[in-house]
Amino acid sequence: MEALIKLENVWKIYALGKTEVQSLRGIDLEIESGDFVTIMGPSGSGKSTLLNMIGLLDIPTKGRLLLKNKDVTKFTESELSRLRGKTIGFVFQEFHLLNHLKAWENVELPMIFQGVAAGPRFRRAKELLESVGMGHRAEHQLAELSIGERQRVAIARAFVNDPELVIADEPTGNLDSINGKKVMEILTEFHEKLNRTLLVVTHDPNVGAYGHKKIFIKDGRLVDETTAFGRKITSN
Amino acid sequence: MFANYKEYFKIAARNLKSRSLRSWLTIFGIVIGVFLIITLLSLSEGIKETISRQLMSLGGNMVFVMPGDESNPMAGMMYGGEKLEKEDLDAIERTPGVQDVLPFSYSSVNTRFNEENKSLTIEALPIREGLGILQKLQGWSLMDGRWPETGRNEVVAGNRYIKKDIFKEKVMVGDEFYIKGRKFTVTGIMNPLSAKDDDAAVFMDIALYQDLTGEKIGTARMAMVSISEDYNTNAVAEDIKENLKKNQKRQLGSDSDTINFAVITSEKIQSITGGVLGVIQFVILAFASIAILVGGIGITNTMYTSVRERTREIGIMKSIGATNETIMAIFLFEASIIGFAGGIGGTVLGLLIAWIVQIYGQANPLFYFTASFSPWIIIFGLSFSFFVGCLAGILPARQAAKLRPIDALRKYE
Repeated sequence: MEALIKLENVWKIYALGKTEVQSLRGIDLEIESGDFVTIMGPSGSGKSTLLNMIGLLDIPTKGRLLLKNKDVTKFTESELSRLRGKTIGFVFQEFHLLNHLKAWENVELPMIFQGVAAGPRFRRAKELLESVGMGHRAEHQLAELSIGERQRVAIARAFVNDPELVIADEPTGNLDSINGKKVMEILTEFHEKLNRTLLVVTHDPNVGAYGHKKIFIKDGRLVDETTAFGRKITSN
Repeated sequence: MFANYKEYFKIAARNLKSRSLRSWLTIFGIVIGVFLIITLLSLSEGIKETISRQLMSLGGNMVFVMPGDESNPMAGMMYGGEKLEKEDLDAIERTPGVQDVLPFSYSSVNTRFNEENKSLTIEALPIREGLGILQKLQGWSLMDGRWPETGRNEVVAGNRYIKKDIFKEKVMVGDEFYIKGRKFTVTGIMNPLSAKDDDAAVFMDIALYQDLTGEKIGTARMAMVSISEDYNTNAVAEDIKENLKKNQKRQLGSDSDTINFAVITSEKIQSITGGVLGVIQFVILAFASIAILVGGIGITNTMYTSVRERTREIGIMKSIGATNETIMAIFLFEASIIGFAGGIGGTVLGLLIAWIVQIYGQANPLFYFTASFSPWIIIFGLSFSFFVGCLAGILPARQAAKLRPIDALRKYE
């Protein structure tokens, strides 16, 4: 199977005052289409940086990043935005929804940027909200929704353009265990039903366990589980 | 593509609505500037139209010969100076194309009415002979009474004498004035004239005036000259000037090529007044533009604040597929909506105020004029404010567009 995403010797170096911070140090990674991958590592390990690279939110300092065999490190910002909007959906730890909009308006937003007409946009947003169990809350202002409900709206938004890749950055990080479990169940269900690639970054072993493939990262390098955490933390 | 901009416009409008107090305050800043421009422009344009209508009533085929320099005819009228001698008037009359010459003199003379003494402007013309021209070209008409008979001590009074703002008592037909101690009968009251000063004057026959004041008979302070329709008014004005020059050389032996009189066509008077009003309008426009500019800076300020506050929002929109151009468009729309809304508000308010001033002006004849509500003023107000809004939005919008999604989102982590 052809790799959806391929990282070749990817480095990310930040200048922090006069010192350099090497956030990623030569990552080689392939993610195949349809995979469910969890990326785990302690805080400061570079997992969020790696996620930003794969999500085209940031570009590597060095190395190549191929999305469907195209080297995106050469892309302009607008090309990256367009590609991101079409092929990648995001679920963030802080949800990153727009507070002055209703639930369905948040879900519809990515479709506006893709030029989808108003009618289909509305129906598709409703449909997605239904599938995360939020259909009855579509007309509610965001402020009226609970934390768990907000994250479900965010998941609906991530899938609305039918992206090939959905990236979730600590999707359960701000949720209690019941809501966290629900969110992971929804993500798993979407993955199975739609056969889309799912990438979840977490430091929570319970969340990490959902992945069919687990990647561990420490000090900017891919390592095995024991190196990353000093012991086996996942069970399967 | 185009449909998408419609969506961005909606997003922009929604954003403004969600911060409505600040949006309204910023809009208000533009309203003030536009309202100033619209009111002042429609009033000054109205004044210009009113004056030029009044000047039109002079008729296109009139020439005025008055003392002083041609570039500044008003000064000559104010400060007196040279007089037209009988020979000068003859020289004017001899010029081909000249139909009638109305000598005209005026001065302030002490007048008593009902035990009350006032210094009044007496305007002297050959009333009987010139009545036709005066009625047709100067708009003379009587509200009450009759025109004075030549050779009798009779005068007509301007329209303001029927009010009590000149004498304590209202002047009526048949009343008596003691001008320079001599008794005159008021035989008529004039209707209002286009120049408000004239409404406060007393009019008498020029021969009578010269007898009364001791002004040399047959001379005049200035002359109104009507030109035959078969002649070009400007050309005749030039000929009059030449004749006056020749006459001056012969009479006074002067070598000078200049004459002490201005020979001015009514057209020229119009262009001079138009020029003065043009300068006034330019000044008004300049000041009002500054007001709009300040409003524009207000927009820029609001937009910058908004970009800073909405860093996270911009990051979110970029992460879900908004391009730099999209963000730029949304922010530019916001700025131009503010500008345009301010333009509409300012135009409506400005026209309303101009209309109120006009109503006040019509109720009070001292300021009689109509405001101008030309569509050009409205188009100017709207497009200028829209343009200022766009311009004011460019820098903040660029800043918003250039935000990198990763930085925009990280700020709130």
